[in-house]
Amino acid sequence: MFFRLLLTSLLLASITGSPAVALDSKKIYQINEDRVFQIRVLNRETGKKSSIGSGFIVGDGKQIATNYHVIGQVILEPDVFYISYLGKDGQEGELRLLGLDVARDLALLGADEPVGEPIKMSPLPSRGAPIFAMGNPLDLGLSIAVGTNGGILNQTDDSRILFSGSLNPGMSGGPTFNDQGEAIGINVATARNDISFIVPSRFLTDLIEQSAAGEFETGDDLKLEVARQVLAYENNYIEQLLASEWPELDLRQFSLPGVISPTVRCWDNSAKLSAIARYKRYQIRCANKNHVYLDEDNKFVGDLIYEYFWLESEELNAIQFYNLYENLNKDQIDSKLDRDIVSNFNCETWFVEVSGQELKANLCRREYVEYKGMSDVLFTAALTGHKNKGFFITLIMTGVEYASTLPLIQKFLEHTEWRP
Amino acid sequence: MAALMLEISTRGLHRYQSIEREVTTIGRALDNDIILSDPTVAPHHLKIIRYGDDSVEIVNLTEVNPTRIGGHQRASLVTEALPVSLEIGRVQAQLLPQSFAVAATRPLAGGGRRGHLFGHASWAVILVLACLIAGGLEFYLNSYNSFKWSDLLKYVLRETVLTIGAFVLALTILERLLVNRWEIRQLVTSIALIYLLYYCSAYFVDAMDYLFSASWPSTLFRFGWYLGLIPCAIALYLIHISHLKRSRSIILAVLIASPIAVPSILQSPELRTLLDDFSSAARYHNSLSSMDLHLKPKVSIETFIQQAQNLGPGAYAD
Repeated sequence: MFFRLLLTSLLLASITGSPAVALDSKKIYQINEDRVFQIRVLNRETGKKSSIGSGFIVGDGKQIATNYHVIGQVILEPDVFYISYLGKDGQEGELRLLGLDVARDLALLGADEPVGEPIKMSPLPSRGAPIFAMGNPLDLGLSIAVGTNGGILNQTDDSRILFSGSLNPGMSGGPTFNDQGEAIGINVATARNDISFIVPSRFLTDLIEQSAAGEFETGDDLKLEVARQVLAYENNYIEQLLASEWPELDLRQFSLPGVISPTVRCWDNSAKLSAIARYKRYQIRCANKNHVYLDEDNKFVGDLIYEYFWLESEELNAIQFYNLYENLNKDQIDSKLDRDIVSNFNCETWFVEVSGQELKANLCRREYVEYKGMSDVLFTAALTGHKNKGFFITLIMTGVEYASTLPLIQKFLEHTEWRP
Repeated sequence: MAALMLEISTRGLHRYQSIEREVTTIGRALDNDIILSDPTVAPHHLKIIRYGDDSVEIVNLTEVNPTRIGGHQRASLVTEALPVSLEIGRVQAQLLPQSFAVAATRPLAGGGRRGHLFGHASWAVILVLACLIAGGLEFYLNSYNSFKWSDLLKYVLRETVLTIGAFVLALTILERLLVNRWEIRQLVTSIALIYLLYYCSAYFVDAMDYLFSASWPSTLFRFGWYLGLIPCAIALYLIHISHLKRSRSIILAVLIASPIAVPSILQSPELRTLLDDFSSAARYHNSLSSMDLHLKPKVSIETFIQQAQNLGPGAYAD
């Protein structure tokens, strides 16, 4: 009887092709607790932790994967800090940097000796499937968070999986498992309220391969490699924008570029006006979501923000209208970076003919002091020559190569059409 | 014996005492020939003796705050060379011959004509009214919501009346302290003129910024206004209205203008750029003008992009 049942089960399994039995969180924890570490950035002088995260064994057993932002301080000050791992049973050791994927927030670290059995990596399970995130939240010890797979987010340039579970500080860099105990991604960020984000494991697989192929310049000045990667990512992103068809968006008498990329979301940003206002203003703000973590000082770059602003009035005279118009034409890049990080802005003014209209255009750029070739760019263009109609575009790009932004600005202007 | 005069200096004005007797005593006590009520003056401070040969002897009589004669502390001095300066306690005085030449008469502003700008109170009233209208106009041109008379009144009271009133009050007190006079009519006229000039210039300068697509017109205006025009206006007022000496007027003008000019200049973005060579904000020319007059030529998108390739990076701060 027993053998008949076993035979039937095996037969059913072979017919349906069903995998092994799904593991619960307790089992996944038990299997992996020796393979997930606390990653610590330590001060060489004091030997104390400056920041912590999580990491897990991959590749040949001597490699540990984590987030780039977990070890970002070492990039900024390699003479002051070093990276170390700490295991469940207190084993620890220094790690060296093997490779980075700054755009996806990944880092590959290497130990001198094998530190355990590597975790197998797997593609993303179906949407809604249970997934399990492991890590060291708030330096309180290893724990596991249960949630579901919300799928790959196209607004993050496919570099994030939505995880409906709770990630907490310190869990960054830890593995996210499917119900077979295979890593499907790396914990990276949270937006609180059980909305968290995971980096798909395929980017880590690529990083391990690139590292093995010796594609990284992990020499003395790691910032050069960081800048190279960020600029390569941003250039590629801009090339994609230039190559794609841009849908139109109408704002009063202008037809404008709409949602120009799946990474971009547009919102109505019109301010609520008082009932006694003698003018009307409409504002649309579009911004991307695929930001890139740069370092502790700069935080994020990779912004692509474009705003459209329309102002009109039948009641204000020309002087009143232009006083108001000028007061509103003051957009800035919303970051207060210090002199050690960026140069001053250099700005120049042009009067540009766009679709038969004249726009007063200002273009400003500033450079990053320590990331060679990286710029922030601010472009504004305000409609002139109308007594009671005003309009301006603001386009902001951060952490980009200046020259690569000009074709994008050109395409923006060419897709800006006046409709009388 | 030639007649002598003792010139006693007070703020801006002088008091003169004729010295006709052979021996004249000066001090705070009531039995002196010339009484100085200053507490630093001794009851019997000094005496002046006139001789038949037109010489004069000045004799110090006190050990407390002894008289400084001709700039030096001495017991007595016999001299024929006048004038001689005297420091009697903290009172400044000069012993002069009666024949001492006085400075030329200063003409009244506008030759004293009643119709002149500084000659009649009605001008002050007219100019203040013009300021109120200018303040009201400024409110009107910067109000983007439905017009309310109560808001206009509040704005004009706050911005125009209080501004002019505060300056008139402060400068009247200063004038009283400095030159011992009240010149309220002329003061109101002057302040109202400066207020109107500033108001009109502000719009003109804004249009200039747009015309040149640059910020140097407003920079030039700001520095010229606070470092040039305001001190010059005060100096001219002191010379022609208060009739102070030119050198003294210039020094006073700089001192009076400083509390207004220094904070304004220190807060100017241009000076902040000079003092602190870094800003995280992009300083671009955001000025817009309804007249739309500009010197920069209009260019095509292609030309703009081509020229934009030459835009260099900003300067690095030290």
